Amino acid sequence: MSAMTRQGVAKLLARQGILVAFVLFMVVFAIANQRFLAIDNISGVIRSSAILGVMALGVTFVVIGGNLDLSVGSMMSFSTIVVLDLHDKLGPTLAIPAMFGLTLLLGAFIGVLVGYLKLNSLIVTLGMLSAIHGLTLTWSGGKNMDIADKEATWFSVFGQGDIVGIPVPILIFALLAGALSLVLGRTPFGRKVYAVGGNGVAATFSGVPRARVVFFTYLISAFCVATAGLIQASRSLGSQNTVGQGMELEVLAAVILGGASLLGGSGTVFKTVIGVLILGFIQNGLLLVGLEFYAQYIVTWIIIILAVWLDIAAKRGRLWSSIA
Amino acid sequence: MKRTIKAMLACSAAMLGTAAAAETMTIGITQNNVGVDSYQTTYEKAFIEAADANPDVEAVVLDAGGDVARQIAQIEDLIQQEVDAIIIWPTNGEAVIPAVRKAKQAGIPVVITNSNIAEQGFDFVSSFSGPDNITQGARAAEIMCDKFKEMGTDTEAQIVQISGQPGYTTAIERAKGFEDRLPEVCPDVTLLESQPGDWNREKSQQVMEAFLVKYDDIDGVYAGDDNMGVGALNAAKAAGRAGDIIFVGATNFSVGYEAMEAGEYWGSIYQSPVDDAKAALQTAIDILGGKELPFLNYFDTPKITQDNMAEFDKPVF
Amino acid sequence: MTKENLIKQGAIWAFIAVELIFFTVMGDILSVTSKSFMDFENMLLLLKQSAPIGIIALGMTIIMVNGNIDLSVGATFALSAVVLLDSFSWPFMAAIGDWAIPLAWFFALATGLILGAINGLIVWKTGVDAFIVTLGSMLGYRGLVFMYNGEQPTSHLNWTLVDFAELQFLGLHTATWFLLLTALGLWLLMTRTVHGRNAYAIGNNREAAVNAGIRVGPHFLINFMLIGFLAALSAVVFYSESGSVNPNDGTLYELWAITAVVLGGTKLTGGYGSIVSTLGGVIAIQLLRKGLGHIGADTETVNLVIGLILITVLFLDRQLNRQGKEELKT
Repeated sequence: MSAMTRQGVAKLLARQGILVAFVLFMVVFAIANQRFLAIDNISGVIRSSAILGVMALGVTFVVIGGNLDLSVGSMMSFSTIVVLDLHDKLGPTLAIPAMFGLTLLLGAFIGVLVGYLKLNSLIVTLGMLSAIHGLTLTWSGGKNMDIADKEATWFSVFGQGDIVGIPVPILIFALLAGALSLVLGRTPFGRKVYAVGGNGVAATFSGVPRARVVFFTYLISAFCVATAGLIQASRSLGSQNTVGQGMELEVLAAVILGGASLLGGSGTVFKTVIGVLILGFIQNGLLLVGLEFYAQYIVTWIIIILAVWLDIAAKRGRLWSSIA
Repeated sequence: MKRTIKAMLACSAAMLGTAAAAETMTIGITQNNVGVDSYQTTYEKAFIEAADANPDVEAVVLDAGGDVARQIAQIEDLIQQEVDAIIIWPTNGEAVIPAVRKAKQAGIPVVITNSNIAEQGFDFVSSFSGPDNITQGARAAEIMCDKFKEMGTDTEAQIVQISGQPGYTTAIERAKGFEDRLPEVCPDVTLLESQPGDWNREKSQQVMEAFLVKYDDIDGVYAGDDNMGVGALNAAKAAGRAGDIIFVGATNFSVGYEAMEAGEYWGSIYQSPVDDAKAALQTAIDILGGKELPFLNYFDTPKITQDNMAEFDKPVF
Repeated sequence: MTKENLIKQGAIWAFIAVELIFFTVMGDILSVTSKSFMDFENMLLLLKQSAPIGIIALGMTIIMVNGNIDLSVGATFALSAVVLLDSFSWPFMAAIGDWAIPLAWFFALATGLILGAINGLIVWKTGVDAFIVTLGSMLGYRGLVFMYNGEQPTSHLNWTLVDFAELQFLGLHTATWFLLLTALGLWLLMTRTVHGRNAYAIGNNREAAVNAGIRVGPHFLINFMLIGFLAALSAVVFYSESGSVNPNDGTLYELWAITAVVLGGTKLTGGYGSIVSTLGGVIAIQLLRKGLGHIGADTETVNLVIGLILITVLFLDRQLNRQGKEELKT
């Protein structure tokens, strides 16, 4: 191999390492099990990844802005319970905007704490994880929330419907990913998110309003959570209070797998989508080859470390770290 | 030494309570995980109501949030507060045994509710109050088998099981009752696989999705409770295969009842958290009142199917 | 001690005092039992019940002083517990009677050390951020727990062991002794040794520390082995008394440990932190749980209050620190 092609390969790995890994994965599983690449299996995987994926889109903004959001799982339970409850009280047409409003309010609260009051996002969102769970239990009285007449409502369209043969959750995920990708990549706001995350202090001096930008990343995250809650509620038309429990870490894993640095300032929506799909296909692939569900934990562990390691190794030009 | 004196004092205090029945008794309860599903929440509400309705009872109601360390701490707290009796809904049927022994040593009678502890702990417990889960599992097997016979598929049917949380006595007993009884009544029905659904609707939906990917032919699903059964039903509906599958659950939830009304879900076991809570409180009161009780106090949990559901009120949870 | 430090370290103990007064007064009004909240034995229990998360949080302090974090401690706790209880059923262990107890402890503690070393080596050699490394191993180690015994609990009830764990030596429970000795050991390590000084130096300014000749990699490795060991020690203390572990046990412990450390005033960015204040943070959290139970708060209130108090304390702590700094300037 000539030096140039080797350099080319290294560059490709550095830039699109995660994509290369993704393709490799698909090939390995496809050889191991023929069912893996069947259309209905692929669409099934994407459909069941959509809820996690939609949440990961929002968290991508927060992480690029240099913060964390551990409250998304708990907040998703809240959205799901609230929209199911209001569905029977107000009807679906009013329940959906009302739920979005309430979820955005929670997002705004976090945004104020982290953005304007500059409190540490890890602890704030950890506190909110617990507080929102309490709020959800208060709202529901701790009971499961179910839509009374499950046959009569059009509400099921978001989780169970099809449009031109494509499941609606996939459509929502794709549309939202496209729109947010534009916001992040093509607008002044998007550039500010990178600026704030890349170097918060410098951004403030250069006139980027750090507080406001961080505030809006949390609003976007809350919007995505509300959308995920909508899909979740519509998918099962009934839910427990703990439906989103533990998802915050899966979401974070997907975002990191997509290559967003936790120090902020890097990552893209597209890469997060790849991260989400990798997690989804790993889960499905391991299941198809007959492994237990916990095999995916171990595989995910290895993949996360390898992906991030190779990414930074490519950037610094050396495999091993320079830590003495 | 100090401990024995204390134990004696506590014992005599309990007896005094018996003599003067008008005196109030303080009963502490530590529950497994309130708010995780409707059954536990309804149980808590019913327990508080029953305690409020009884002028002789003061109740200390605690929730372990599913964390065994927190539950053990709560049992220690109740012992320290010198309550007259402790009711425990165990998070882990084995891990609480040493804490239960401490209560016994302090002379405080312990009632286990809903889900029993492991046998090594029986010596330290005054009584168990709850459903007979082995029988429940057996009854579910009979419901499933009868339906297959009626359909004429009992010679070839293949089923899967979604069990409750691993390590939880109720889950173990229901699965055992089902697995033991099924081959007796329907020897040709095959149980393809069992996976835990952790009493969680979402988790069961995922488990069922995986079953549907793995097995082309599934004729029946037995779920450890209706909450999980409905999760499995949702997965089957999404895959367009619900019509081919007989669903049988346990602990009839209102969602299960509704699905039965809709003709999608075949049967379950009728078990009321209100009865469960009241029975636990009554057991504790009876023990403090000096009544002789059997060690195992079961309340009846009958079969419910689409055929006889009109005889039952819709569950409130 | 400077005024600034006094304010920083005093805050958590003031918070504990407020909690004590509040729950004692409210307990007299609301609680149905006649026992006061501030009962001496209740306070002894408080210390004992703080031990499982406390021992982990103490170790987390040094990790966070470094500017790192460890999210895998809950999974390490569970895996060590599984090894502890399962090892009793190994044939050669069953043959040696009660001598199996120290050996089982050894196996569990070794498990913790190894898991910690894996984290430490990866952080050192790959240069990947500790948050990501341990987020990964949090999943991976949990996977190992499930691999060990499927979804079934691992149990071994040994009454000799339980009796030892329930002992009260000089009034303090066994678990309390482990908590206090760990605190003492780590306090000495942080304040009296080169390793401790280096921990602060690295957290303050890593480049400067490297320039000063501190070997950061091995330092990290040692600290991750230390916290792995302490997570295992916590499991040893707790499961010696309870004898059965579910594969999901220890979930969220990492978050509670981090919370306790932050309540104790340790900076998440590293460079500042105190073992004694972390102990305060641990006690404050356990007191909150216990107190809310004592006054009869229901599940939803407990969740709501704990979450909001966490945020409030963070806010107050920052205000106090800022004030301290401004006063110093003038």
